[in-house]
Amino acid sequence: MSPDNRKKQKKQGRKKNKVNMDFKEKLAEVLELPKEVVLDVPKITMIGNSSLVVENYKGIVEYGNERIRVNTAKGLVKIQGDCLTIREITSEDIVVMGKIGSLEFME
Amino acid sequence: MLLLRLWNYLRGYVIILVEGYFLERFINICTHRQVFLWDIQRRNDLTMTLKVSIKGFKMLRPISRKSRCRVRIIKKKGLPFFLNRYKRRKAFVFGVILFFVLFNLLASFIWDVEISGNKEIRTADILQKLAVLGVKPGVLKYRINADRVAKTLILQIKELSWVSFEIRGTKAKLSIEERRQPPSLIPKDVPCNIVAERDGIIHSIIVKNGREVVKEGDTIVKGQLLVSGVMENEREPGQKRLVHSIAEIKARTWYEGNGTTNVKAIEAIRTGNVKSVYTLILFNKKIKLPLNKGIDFQNYDKVELKKVLQVGENFILPFWLVIEEYYENKLVEKELSIEEAKIIARDNALKKLMKIIPDDAKIINQIIDYTQSEEGLITANVIIECIEDIGITEEIGGE
Repeated sequence: MSPDNRKKQKKQGRKKNKVNMDFKEKLAEVLELPKEVVLDVPKITMIGNSSLVVENYKGIVEYGNERIRVNTAKGLVKIQGDCLTIREITSEDIVVMGKIGSLEFME
Repeated sequence: MLLLRLWNYLRGYVIILVEGYFLERFINICTHRQVFLWDIQRRNDLTMTLKVSIKGFKMLRPISRKSRCRVRIIKKKGLPFFLNRYKRRKAFVFGVILFFVLFNLLASFIWDVEISGNKEIRTADILQKLAVLGVKPGVLKYRINADRVAKTLILQIKELSWVSFEIRGTKAKLSIEERRQPPSLIPKDVPCNIVAERDGIIHSIIVKNGREVVKEGDTIVKGQLLVSGVMENEREPGQKRLVHSIAEIKARTWYEGNGTTNVKAIEAIRTGNVKSVYTLILFNKKIKLPLNKGIDFQNYDKVELKKVLQVGENFILPFWLVIEEYYENKLVEKELSIEEAKIIARDNALKKLMKIIPDDAKIINQIIDYTQSEEGLITANVIIECIEDIGITEEIGGE
């Protein structure tokens, strides 16, 4: 298999994946199902700038007082702020408390 | 949130310090293995503190080895640790349990029987009756049927008109009301005579019904017929009519009594020396406390104080402390003046007489004579003259 061919295949796979995603998203919309369950994407809830909940995450990449990076299906989520602490952590969700400055998705 | 904290406190948790290069990895593995972590705080690049339940902490050892972190306990918190501390103090725990057991045990007995409201009936008699019914100190209170006791008591003692029996705490309370005996009146339609209650001289006589037998100024003796209920028909002798006599008869009566005193009186004066004897009564058993010294007073007054261990008014525990205080007396011979001795002798005599003289009698005169014997004994002879109601009814049929 030539590298070209392989690239093509990968592209095709991605395309297929994208179609699949679109379909699932539509299905979720039509059936009014919670998207984070159907699409396996994180649900991020913020209360002001003091509390942040990331549901459906994959794991912690970095954890510090100023910066927390969480791995999700949509890529890395970077939370920056001051005095960040993890209030609770289970396999489903992570509750971050502190003074949150910014939230960023990193592909 | 409060509920969660309370729950965590009840379950018990530890605050731990994790040290290592791969702290994120440590957290990830924990979450993966369903170990619940909370309050994670980064101290610096290499350390963080977090809280984990006791159950979770036991799963941390392989995780820390895998993530090459060192775990150290900073603090143990929660109820299980608190209890654990007391588990070692066996005597303390035992004492606490013993206290509650004993308290409940003691509270289920009757330790005191209280009787109130009796005037004529002696308390000792009632206590004895109650004891027969099973109510006495040291009896299990659950065995007593208060209702039945009250009902039985009112049947057994005829003088009672009302009984209330209840168990309050460790006290059995009995309140009674005595039946007042009605005076033995002769009904109005039954014929009767009036006779003299005691010796005397008739002062006044007013007859409303019946035939007068005595008149004013007559000397009468006890039991003498004063007013007869037998009316004779004047026109037809031999025909008799019986009536219920009613009359108001007042008579002069005399009461005599005497009192004596010695001129050389012996008076007891407290010297101020006091000795106390403490006696403990536990479960109706007397225990003399060893700190008693013998009472070597020649002459003393004794004052007894009874103290009981009680919680509130009704919860009496079977521990009594009886304090007997002995006050030493010095006997001082004192010579009274004749006048003083006379007054004392007279007072003694009057005291005796007042007990005999009925309440409704009116005192009109009193004569006091004093005599002195050779030994210094002074005797007061008191004669009191009264005017009083003297008639008492007596049924005719009885004779």
